[in-house]
Amino acid sequence: MVSRVLVPMEDSEMSDRALEYALEVYPNAEITVLHVVGEPSQMWGYATGLALADDLEQAAAEHAKPIFDRAREIVADADGDAELETHIELGNPARAIINRANDYETVVIGTHSGSVADLVFVGNVAEKVVRSAPVPVVVVR
Amino acid sequence: MVSVLLLVGILVAVFVGYNVGGATTGPAFGPAVGADAISKTAAGVLMTVFFFVGAWTIGRRVVDTLGRELVRDPGVFTLEASIGVLFFIGAALFVGNFFGVPASTSMTAVGSIAGLGLAAGELNVAVMGEIAIWWLVSPFIGFWVSLIIGRYFYSSLNRRLAMTRSEGPLYRIDRSRWVPVPVPTDTTNRRELGGVAMVIVIGCLMAFSSGTSNIANAVAPLVGSGELAMNPAIIIGCAAVGIGTVTIARRTLETMGNDLTELPLTAAIVTATVSASLVIFLSAIGIPASFVIIATMCIIGLGWGRATRPITVADAVRGEESVPISVDALTADAEGETLPPIGDEDPERIPSASDLFNPATTARVVLMQNIVPVIATGGAYVTFRFVPIFGL
Repeated sequence: MVSRVLVPMEDSEMSDRALEYALEVYPNAEITVLHVVGEPSQMWGYATGLALADDLEQAAAEHAKPIFDRAREIVADADGDAELETHIELGNPARAIINRANDYETVVIGTHSGSVADLVFVGNVAEKVVRSAPVPVVVVR
Repeated sequence: MVSVLLLVGILVAVFVGYNVGGATTGPAFGPAVGADAISKTAAGVLMTVFFFVGAWTIGRRVVDTLGRELVRDPGVFTLEASIGVLFFIGAALFVGNFFGVPASTSMTAVGSIAGLGLAAGELNVAVMGEIAIWWLVSPFIGFWVSLIIGRYFYSSLNRRLAMTRSEGPLYRIDRSRWVPVPVPTDTTNRRELGGVAMVIVIGCLMAFSSGTSNIANAVAPLVGSGELAMNPAIIIGCAAVGIGTVTIARRTLETMGNDLTELPLTAAIVTATVSASLVIFLSAIGIPASFVIIATMCIIGLGWGRATRPITVADAVRGEESVPISVDALTADAEGETLPPIGDEDPERIPSASDLFNPATTARVVLMQNIVPVIATGGAYVTFRFVPIFGL
């Protein structure tokens, strides 16, 4: 039985669905929502803005807050009593997820983010995670 | 018939100028508008004025390079071919704005014209090589200068430039004199006034640099074709840019989709100063510069330099720097915690700002910025080579 599930999330419909799926299929598991901040952007302004912040951790937490709030909403809508852990990583999303995945039994991830700019500059994160993650990966579409 | 074609050419050039105005007002005046220093309309007007000054003074050198030197025989710029080149430039700008993939207009323009020259067998390889070398060198100059600033001078600059906006409007208009003059209100302090002035001046510098390098993208093919003289072309191009700055630029300023607005004000000022200076220098020697790539490398340099900075004793004593970044091996252990035996330690590290600058990932972003120009070059070559309507 799967007891520790990692759900990487960002601001997209696909990752909402990934969390919904994880809640449905692993109702008793401990679910950790991971959000990666400072991912590549068109002119690298996002990552540099973070790097220049006085307090990196606080700035990262601020960026991640809307994602985690949304995740808690989804948990409340689904059932309400699942415990939700949250975790923030920095930098390249695929790399961060793969590094983190070691501590979990399964990764549940949405197929893609949907924006062309993300596809060009970040690449398809789910594809890279499937290829290199050390644990089984469920891709939700 | 010929005059109809010329009209079409001018219309396409106006379309390109209009898009240039829309796309460049954001980076130039985004910080000023964001800090409530000026209105969007004022930003548009300043943008147009300084764009024109840049285009009129230095911009014509780049027009010469693109319109007369890059191809050995300017005769290849038939009106049909000029319209084709402008079409590629306009399409690239549109794609860039639409999908949020910034494309260098100048690189696209050079690429399209080079495609035309190659198809006609008239490409001046020496000029093309000179441009290409500067394209490789200039982003690295921007990167290193910003890196040095980020590593050694950013904290002190930031202290000096830190701008806190006070409550209430910045200035009121004094109408009791002959000419209405803006006068600072009582709530405005001098430091604030200086900061605001600085942000506006930087915006004007960016507008000027944009004029020096971007006017050529809109009008060079028409000037090259000999159908339009230099001065009227520059005036028409600037008018088109002006329309863009007060119309679509409102949206680019508003949406905040612009990545540059993620930067703190000090960083925006540093990046703008370094990249605008480089662009103006390149334009002055007649090289069409690619602002997007230079600015991106400046941003990466600044951020990476800052992320890997050494912490000076003075800063550490003053407590103004967050220490864990360079000495995390020492501070990662909470007090009173028993240390695990060597070798048994949890491999998990403390995330640090340098994680944000993975070389492979940053390289990908810079490479991807070249996609649109590369496609435009290939597309232009194939089109001019095999579609027989351009009078080549």
